[in-house]
Amino acid sequence: MEAKVIAKQDISAWLSSLAEKMEVLAPVEDGGVIRYRPLGEGEMNLNFSGPAKSLRDHFTPETETLFRYKYEGLKAELEESPAEEHDRLIFGVRACDAAALKYVDAVYSMVEPRDEPYFARRERTTIVGLFCNNPAWSCFCTEVGNFLTNPQEMDAGLTDIGDKYYAEAYTAKGEELLSAAQFEPAGAEDAAAVEKVKQKALSRLPAKGAHEEACLSYNWDSPIFPELAEKCLGCGVCAYSCPTCHCFDIQECAQGKKGSRFRCWDTCQFEKFTLMGHGHNPRPSKKERTRQRVFHKFKYSIERYKMLGCVGCGRCISACPVNIDIHAVVAELEKPAPASEGVNNE
Amino acid sequence: MSMEQELREKAKELLSSGKVKVVIGYGEGSIPIKSTPIFVKTPEQADCLVLNPTCTNNLTVYLPQAVKSGPVAVVAKPCEVKNIVELVKENQIKREDVTVIAVSTPGILNDAALAEFDLLDVKKISWKADGVAVTTSQGDTVIPRDAAFQKKCLSCTAAQPAIADIKIGDWAERAPLQDKFADVEEYEKLSAEEKRAFWAGQFSKCIRCYACRQACPGCYCNECFVDKNGQIWASKDTGAESNWFFHMTRMMHTAGRCTGCGECERACPMGIPLSLMGKKMSLLVKELFGTQPGESMEDAPVFGCYQTNDPDPCPE
Repeated sequence: MEAKVIAKQDISAWLSSLAEKMEVLAPVEDGGVIRYRPLGEGEMNLNFSGPAKSLRDHFTPETETLFRYKYEGLKAELEESPAEEHDRLIFGVRACDAAALKYVDAVYSMVEPRDEPYFARRERTTIVGLFCNNPAWSCFCTEVGNFLTNPQEMDAGLTDIGDKYYAEAYTAKGEELLSAAQFEPAGAEDAAAVEKVKQKALSRLPAKGAHEEACLSYNWDSPIFPELAEKCLGCGVCAYSCPTCHCFDIQECAQGKKGSRFRCWDTCQFEKFTLMGHGHNPRPSKKERTRQRVFHKFKYSIERYKMLGCVGCGRCISACPVNIDIHAVVAELEKPAPASEGVNNE
Repeated sequence: MSMEQELREKAKELLSSGKVKVVIGYGEGSIPIKSTPIFVKTPEQADCLVLNPTCTNNLTVYLPQAVKSGPVAVVAKPCEVKNIVELVKENQIKREDVTVIAVSTPGILNDAALAEFDLLDVKKISWKADGVAVTTSQGDTVIPRDAAFQKKCLSCTAAQPAIADIKIGDWAERAPLQDKFADVEEYEKLSAEEKRAFWAGQFSKCIRCYACRQACPGCYCNECFVDKNGQIWASKDTGAESNWFFHMTRMMHTAGRCTGCGECERACPMGIPLSLMGKKMSLLVKELFGTQPGESMEDAPVFGCYQTNDPDPCPE
């Protein structure tokens, strides 16, 4: 399909017309942070290098009730949570956040039955991306998939070229979106402008890495992990800001003879994540826990899903209160190891 | 000699004399706009220590764990020395196990002050007489003090610390540029309903990553009430009530411990103004108990004592 352009001042009208048919979410500034929220819940802000939160909570909510129950004597009633039934569009999604969905899809469909609440949301969601023209200092998507030139999981993608956006469709849904009255065919000068914006964005990003091969040599006993363990505070900022982290806990909220069971976010960075009922903890210290996060993203994910578990959004780097930088950690692990050190796979 | 050079020399002395096993200080971060906590164990490594406007972390959070391996020296700014005072008084660390390197700096950089800079192009951040210099490929730009520094630094008087083994920097008492409790005064103008709505909005953003708790030297419990899995005191869900309960309870538990270092708010990825709660709490502590956290070694810790003249009588 040919590329289109839309004038910046027409974006609101276009999104409003879409909002008549479905819920529309966009990056809005809300209480000092940018989040993907329903249109109208704050000022839309498209001039950002990455919202504070990824799309994660729109597909796997922070708290998700699985079922409710009540009982009287031996008689119990269960009420399952209804599946997602409304269509929605998320606008202004960064290429890294969209690409993360491909990874989370793989996680939630790896074993049967696949995770239906997740896929119900996924299948009813249209993604319209907004490519970066000014990547942040912590960004490194070029090293983990080059999503600016190789978009993933977007129905359509927009690029800011000054007073208008250059738009490309990648799916039939995307083509239909770009057939709206506000779009016009793009000219040769628009295509040239996009190329310029992309080149400038790419010049701010590191060169392509080869983590897929390098991960085989990661040293389980690398001295970097005890070092990280000393300064890591053991909070969950890295995991909870990460678009590919997906671990959850299952908890129960009992109130007398009724209650609910819900799942909520959890992370390998918390001490109790791996604490067993009988008291043993296979990841007893922050050394094991920081290693787990890096190895899961860059090693186990390749072994399990044939793709990296990191999309280079850089959120964990910029949000870490003690400046733990996964990009630097991986670079350290990928330095050629001295021949005497053994390599141990989990 | 610069403060940084002086710090390195003192650290070398402490390590080579064997007085301490480790010096907890700041090192270069992964980019010039950041520094990172480092644990210096040999005199040679002491040259990695830095002291500049990006040195924001409250390193006293590491003390209860660090002293288990031997005596420790820690770099602490005036508000953070107060945390050490409380940790000692509450028996979390022994005074003799900690060498306090009290550092009085002109102020610590507020990240928002860099909003207009291309952070990839920032080469260096340093103190200048009237603020903070940001060095880029275009040269130096000086951000004036009131825009450059964190709120807590603007209200700091650099008063003499209750404890210090080594003092570095300018400890002459200074006039604060801002009233420490100005934002509490603004907040107090709200009605009870408005206050409730304000916090409900703020807590709705909370993702329960517990960065606030983990960054807080006052939150030293081995097991936080919210992590208890057998007896569930607080639900792990992120609903309005649970988030409210978590933050209010945490704040109550840090009464008398919160020194206003502001690390909880800085660590929060969702921009929740947690220091406002801490400051409100410290005003209440002052009113009810007549003490300010960390200002003296003699005042009894608020949670660690009972006074017969307690203003809130024991229920009959």
